[in-house]
Amino acid sequence: MDSSVQTLLAILFLPLASAALIACFLRRRTWAGAVVSVLAALGIMLLSLKFIQDWDGETISTSITWLQLGDFKLELGVLFEGQVALMLLVVGVVSFFIHLFSVGYMDEDKSKGRYFAGLSIFMFSMLGIVFSHNLIMLFIFWELVGFSSYMLIAHYYETSFASWASKKAFIVNRVGDFGFLLGIIWTYWHFGTVSFEGLRHQVMVNPDMVKTAIGLLLMCGFLGKSAQFPLQVWLPDAMAGPTPVSALIHAATMVAAGIYLLARIAFMLSPEVLEVIIWLAAIMTAYAGFCALGQRDIKKILAYSTLSQLGYMAVGIGLNLPGLALFHMATHACFKATLFLSAGSIIHALHHEQDIFKMGGLFKRMPITSGAFLIGTLALCALFGTSGYFSKDSIIVAAYLHHRPVFYVVLFSAFLTAFYMGRVLWVVFFGPANSKAAESAKESSWFMTLPLIILSVLSLLAGYEFLWPHVASIAFEPEVHVVHEAILQMGLSVHMLLYGSLAWALGLGLSLWYYGLGASADRMEAQSPQLYCLFESKLWWDELYNAYVSKVQQRFADILAFLDLIFISGLLVRGSAGLVGLAGLVFRMAHVGSIQIYVYWFLAGVLIFWGFAVGLF
Amino acid sequence: MNDLNPLLLQLSVLIPFSAALLLFLAPYWGAKLSRAIAFCGFIAPVAIALWLLAHFTASTDAVTGYAFRSDLSTGLDLFGISLKLGLNGIALPLFLLAGIVGFVAGFYALHTDAQRKEMYWMLLLFMLSGLMGTFASIDIFFFYFFHELALIPTFIMIGIWGGAGRRAAAMEMTIYLTLGAMLSLLGLIAIYSRSGFHSFDLIELRTYLVAAPLAEALQHNIVGLLLFGFGILVSLFPFHTWAPRGYAAAPTSAAMLHAGVLKKFGLYGLIQVAGPLLIVGLNSWATALAWLALGNIVLIGLVTMAQRDLKQMIGYSSVMHMGYCFLGVVCLLSPEGRFLGAGGAVMLMFAHGLSVALSFLLATAIHQRTQTYDLKAMGGLCMKTPVLAAFFVAAILASAGLPGFANFWGEFSIFMGLWKYNPWLVVPAVLGIVISAIYGLRAVAHIFFGSPDEAFKDRLLSGSIQDILPYERICCLVLLGSLLVIGLWPKTISDPLNDSLQKVYEDVGVVLDYATASAEEFQNQSIL
Repeated sequence: MDSSVQTLLAILFLPLASAALIACFLRRRTWAGAVVSVLAALGIMLLSLKFIQDWDGETISTSITWLQLGDFKLELGVLFEGQVALMLLVVGVVSFFIHLFSVGYMDEDKSKGRYFAGLSIFMFSMLGIVFSHNLIMLFIFWELVGFSSYMLIAHYYETSFASWASKKAFIVNRVGDFGFLLGIIWTYWHFGTVSFEGLRHQVMVNPDMVKTAIGLLLMCGFLGKSAQFPLQVWLPDAMAGPTPVSALIHAATMVAAGIYLLARIAFMLSPEVLEVIIWLAAIMTAYAGFCALGQRDIKKILAYSTLSQLGYMAVGIGLNLPGLALFHMATHACFKATLFLSAGSIIHALHHEQDIFKMGGLFKRMPITSGAFLIGTLALCALFGTSGYFSKDSIIVAAYLHHRPVFYVVLFSAFLTAFYMGRVLWVVFFGPANSKAAESAKESSWFMTLPLIILSVLSLLAGYEFLWPHVASIAFEPEVHVVHEAILQMGLSVHMLLYGSLAWALGLGLSLWYYGLGASADRMEAQSPQLYCLFESKLWWDELYNAYVSKVQQRFADILAFLDLIFISGLLVRGSAGLVGLAGLVFRMAHVGSIQIYVYWFLAGVLIFWGFAVGLF
Repeated sequence: MNDLNPLLLQLSVLIPFSAALLLFLAPYWGAKLSRAIAFCGFIAPVAIALWLLAHFTASTDAVTGYAFRSDLSTGLDLFGISLKLGLNGIALPLFLLAGIVGFVAGFYALHTDAQRKEMYWMLLLFMLSGLMGTFASIDIFFFYFFHELALIPTFIMIGIWGGAGRRAAAMEMTIYLTLGAMLSLLGLIAIYSRSGFHSFDLIELRTYLVAAPLAEALQHNIVGLLLFGFGILVSLFPFHTWAPRGYAAAPTSAAMLHAGVLKKFGLYGLIQVAGPLLIVGLNSWATALAWLALGNIVLIGLVTMAQRDLKQMIGYSSVMHMGYCFLGVVCLLSPEGRFLGAGGAVMLMFAHGLSVALSFLLATAIHQRTQTYDLKAMGGLCMKTPVLAAFFVAAILASAGLPGFANFWGEFSIFMGLWKYNPWLVVPAVLGIVISAIYGLRAVAHIFFGSPDEAFKDRLLSGSIQDILPYERICCLVLLGSLLVIGLWPKTISDPLNDSLQKVYEDVGVVLDYATASAEEFQNQSIL
């Protein structure tokens, strides 16, 4: 094994070792677990940076047989190429700062050991997805990511909500995995391989092998993990976990794994599948934006914004430009982590107050946090020059070029994004303080503000591709270039810039006019309760699913259990036992102990025999 | 050293058996000595099993695929019966499973405060001895004999040490399982008499019957007997009703050994005996078996979701998971899916044995702390028992097939193999991974998370609830550790398994093709 593979394996197993160490020995120590986990994350970041710096851009591929039955061989191994390098950079860098932030955020938590062990397990699973050599290996780590997410959402398990939300997240993900697993099995038997290299080769040699049904099944995995329609319901509730977890898992990395998956298998998706993805995604960008307008919880608003941004990325995939999707995934990881962590800093300072209408005026009291949130918001709204501008506008432009109807939807969603983020911005940071907690808020400790500062700088700069190592930017740079080249030739690049800028300027401006600075109540709720109620209800998807679970699924299960008890266990099993017993009773009646009666029985028997003998019966 | 290994295999059966016999004398000895004897009886098989696992590949016979063979005359040579022991790659995982679960169940029983402990241990030792013998037997007669040796103590243990409703449960289970055992015995005797070779030796029978397979109609009937006999023993839908009730009433160690190991006898019989000897007969039942197995997964899966009682839920979930194993058996009929399906079934039997034993153990541990099995009457237990909660979550996720635990490999391989038998069957089968996640996590949420039920609150906050005790922890660690070792490094058992399956099913394809071809020919002729 050469040294580069060894380094990659070291990166992969470092967090597993950290998790095992914490789980076995450091559970009860207050700080040791945190130190180990943060050091592991630091190690991952440094090793990744070093590795990518030294890497010559040549594909590294190695695997060993893990399980063999008959002719089937399951391989586990590492495949390292441009897309992987990009994802490794994002995961490695962003998650280290989130780990660091956690130290400050979780300072008063009693179960630090469990929390940090969970973070490390998550890192292991996520890196496993990133390095995966084939689809089956990816599925294995995919499931493990689901498990770590379950564990971390359930961190505050005493509350019924966290208990419920964690269960929901895992099960909804499993529903997606149901299709995903079927897709993987079909892929294996259709193509004879599941390794990315092998599949790519097969499709290149024989493009007719691509099957729409397989693509749709594999897409189910993405729908579950990236919380896209119709499996979007788990992500907002997943905010029941600690805020850094929301930042790490439910904003920056795990949900992006779905996009990463699609980017890895983009060559296997037929035009029909891409059309399905692009429409699901485009609708999601707008739907999530509306939902965000009906939320008061700052984390839920950010969660919906994540859904909406994942929609943008998926639009990139749907346009068959996976590079754009990965680019937006990378910049989004930076600015969404910034936003979530600033929200975490606020929540921590306000003693777990999450209602935006009970905040207000925080700019004066928490300048660093507020600055970071502001930068994150501007990047999210795609202000010219921030990272979000480069990635998001590329997608909007590409939609203009290749899919006009979707272009209008995503442009509108860009306005919507600015509108709901403006609502948070004006209400939370400006005007008067709206609660006691907000009045006495203080800036958070360096453990929290330092990551915020660094991540905000990244949010500003991540869009400049020359700042990226060339081996990583190769994953998106050519496609971004092609798109901009094309729009330049049409002479519309200034128009596009205007459209984009108009969207965010209008959004921020209108929200300022409508909600005002430091409002203590939602104006929409007061003015048109019906509309607000519509947004708040998220179009009743949760209610629909809950009704299905409790009224259909559970009823059906109860009925089956009843039938099982009455029919199979009762009637068939007990019934046949009863029948035997009854026969016993009847035959016992014949044994009366009187010799005359027995003579009659004997006669009857003889008659029956005679009847058989002469053929009467 | 190699000469000693067959002896060790014999000892793995003999030591628990003699320990059980010695315990008859327990009243004349001190409690300490009895405990020591019982402990030796419980630990010897697992130690031997691990030793044999390490030496398996080196001592495997290249032709038959068996290792550690020995042949002891029992005076029944006239009938072709002799105590032939040996292990192949199919038997090895189950032999190991019996050793591990037997040790844990025994170790747990050593720490219970049951009445007449010595007798309880004695019965467990008899059971363990029978289990080790079943999977170590090459002779079909002893394969069955040892199964009965293990089965009968279960009835007694449920009847005496069982929980609520033990009499009815023991009665139902005894009659039902005896019926199943009778049917399968009939099938096994039919193989013996109809093959006409006067031999119960599995290896010899295989050689004979490949060269001269039984007539198709005969095979159909024999497999029918075996299938319903074994089906009852393994709780194939709709012959499953004894299982949840029986397990709910059984004392913990008995439930662990029965659900974990003994129940696998029927599946093992299908893969080791019926498949290679009677593949044509199995072919004629495959469709029916597949539908019933889906009944296990989907219908019983949904029934599991409706359970409110923790032990019933675990019992039903174990019935559900047997469906996957049966689907693995169905895969035997597909040339490409054969090794995946059968291999997956054996791996899942191994994994499920460990995880269900762990679940029953933890259910008892939870009951001791909450005094109830009612899922809705608990809540928030994690506050007091974080380690117990971690073990329970692990057990639930293992049985839901989370990668990292051995169960994943089994389920995954079966799905892969089944696709080649019939892709449409895979869809409802994979649905099972969603169902098992739903009822499993629901149980976790009810027991450990959230706020406690009103009636349970006082008890929870009174401080009388302790986290997991050292002896419970050792039991859990052994079971969970085994699940993780195979989960992370499946080759330990999958490589020998794969080799043996290749050997055992080497000629099955030819036999099957020949039978199908001649059936077609016959059909063509009759059309002409």
